[in-house]
Amino acid sequence: MKKNLGILGILLFVFIATAMGSDSFFTAYNLFNLVERSSLYGIIGIGVAFVIITGGIDLSIGSFIGLVAVTFPFVVVSHEMSLGVGLLTILALSVIAGITHGLLITKLKLQPFVVTLCGLMIYRGISRWMVADKTMGYADDKFEGLKIMVSSMNKLPGFQNVEWAKHVPVAFLILVALGIVAAIFLNKTIYGRYLLALGRNEQAARFSGINTAAMTVLAYVICSLITGFGGLLFALDNGSIQPDSFGNFYELYAIAAAVLGGCSLRGGEGSVFGVILGATLMRLLMNSISMLGISDQLEQTVIGTVILVGVIVDELVKRYAARRNAIQQAKQANT
Amino acid sequence: MPRLSKPALPLFATLVILSVAVLGCGENSSNQTGGGGGTSSSEKQPSVAYITNGIASFWVIAEKGAMDGGEEFNARVNVQMPANGVEDQKRMCQDLLAQGIDGIAISPIDPDNQGDLLSEISEHTNLITHDSDAPTSDRLCYIGVDNYTAGRMCGTLVKEAMPEGGSVMIFVGRLGQANARLRRQGVIDELLDRDADPNRYDDPGAGEIKGDKYTILDTRTDGFDFGKAKANAQDAIAKYSDLGCMVGLFAYNPPLMLDAVREADKIGKIKIVSFDEDEISLKGIQDGEIYGTVVQNPYKYGYESVRVLAGLARGDKSVIPDGKFIDIPARQIRKDNVDEFWAELKRLTAPVEASEKAAEPAAAE
Repeated sequence: MKKNLGILGILLFVFIATAMGSDSFFTAYNLFNLVERSSLYGIIGIGVAFVIITGGIDLSIGSFIGLVAVTFPFVVVSHEMSLGVGLLTILALSVIAGITHGLLITKLKLQPFVVTLCGLMIYRGISRWMVADKTMGYADDKFEGLKIMVSSMNKLPGFQNVEWAKHVPVAFLILVALGIVAAIFLNKTIYGRYLLALGRNEQAARFSGINTAAMTVLAYVICSLITGFGGLLFALDNGSIQPDSFGNFYELYAIAAAVLGGCSLRGGEGSVFGVILGATLMRLLMNSISMLGISDQLEQTVIGTVILVGVIVDELVKRYAARRNAIQQAKQANT
Repeated sequence: MPRLSKPALPLFATLVILSVAVLGCGENSSNQTGGGGGTSSSEKQPSVAYITNGIASFWVIAEKGAMDGGEEFNARVNVQMPANGVEDQKRMCQDLLAQGIDGIAISPIDPDNQGDLLSEISEHTNLITHDSDAPTSDRLCYIGVDNYTAGRMCGTLVKEAMPEGGSVMIFVGRLGQANARLRRQGVIDELLDRDADPNRYDDPGAGEIKGDKYTILDTRTDGFDFGKAKANAQDAIAKYSDLGCMVGLFAYNPPLMLDAVREADKIGKIKIVSFDEDEISLKGIQDGEIYGTVVQNPYKYGYESVRVLAGLARGDKSVIPDGKFIDIPARQIRKDNVDEFWAELKRLTAPVEASEKAAEPAAAE
């Protein structure tokens, strides 16, 4: 928590500044949209955080989201199979992709960057080829049930007549649940500690008896599973999937969220809460830019600048904390 | 004692930068206007939005039309161009709805599957479509060209450019959009001398489409990636030595095709037929490197959209015609009328700059 103070500060500042600058920002409708978008990006951010923590990277996330988004209606609508078959297909795809990435990285010792960069291209090509570039849609009635995941909480059984529930996106509940599970896994289970240890020093971890190869594969499988699920949510939310572009750059948004949230690209560090904050900050900035009427040509520049500043602040705060600790330790040693 | 000022300094710097970014650019710098117009200033000025389907020079002309409309009909106009497809379009619309916009004119990227977004808009405000229609939505009217007819007009240009027949390649950004599909089908149907039927659809993956005189070899898409669009053109030249004519259906395609044909030194050998009015395409027509182009009137799309939305915002339902379709017909531009057309285009777009400047004080109020 302490580690994320810098980003939390920026988040609050942008939030308050936007609320002051625009009457429309702090409305139920806008906040609902903002929370829903942040949740979707937060989910894929948590996915990539698992591989970043081990010192790896996954550049294939965007294309994989595209692949999942295209495959699901391809199986369920074009081939008229049941929803269950569709879900199993994307589950299988996610597991296979994760295992393949993991094995190529651990057994063949290929660079994660290269493996997942190839994944980025391969998945995109498969998506386009599979449906001959045809736009895939989620307008079919079959998807109605699943669309609850990207609607409001009052669509859930038991909450139909609850007034406040209509202002809570279901995707947010999913993010909270996933965040809690991921945080417990990472911090309270032995496998989570293994992942962190492996990220900090792979050799040391291996010599201390951790099966680092298996743990790396596990990290990539977790990442692909969460990405696959996130892809399904994105697809349901947008409804229209262009096989050639859907999900483009999402890997970079996810990685940026993870890094903003305190994950070190060198591995061994990261918190789930921080990743969620990182994802939220980026969506908040985009929303603020619209709300304040800043020219959207500047959108990426503003986001890039804020991420850069956030990372710099974070680094400086860390250095300061380290120095203060050292001074205090020295003082204690003297007394 | 620890130096407390250290962490405060970067944090302070951050806040300063953010303040400048957030507050300094407070008023939209480029794409909003509001006019003094002829109406009294005591009347509440409606705010309307004009959403495109991407970023392109075509939309810059439409933006100018929309701005002129804002001036003429005393409306604040917010023009937004989504860079990243449907997701961006959705976000922009939702943000505008959150701001209580009085009407949205949108060119839906995928009308069939954006039903949820379109209903979300129509529930909150007045919705009209421009450029590409969504007939199944609750849109109040569609402003644009009949894309199938425009496609057929493009087909007749191919026939004129290559009267003895030959092979044709089609290049387009995306086929997911109804306008792209209809234009392509219009070209194909015209070349094959079929009856007019906008509901026909030749699957682009089905290979060559052979007619008596003309063969459509393939349709290549690039997803708005200009590098890829040029590579598609180059690959087609390399692959088909007997390629007779290239047809580019989105504004940016023909200039890139022209580049590829020039590099291959095949000007004149491979005919180029264009869509829309990119300056390079018009120059190509002047120089005889491009046979002709079919132009829409994006300026009118913007202008008419704002006229209709401003009228609706003031409760005037008469701005919607019977049939809910405002036809902005396409035109064929060849070497003989390109100069005249270009001059008209410049005339239409140039004065807006001046009126934009004039509108600035009003918008800043």
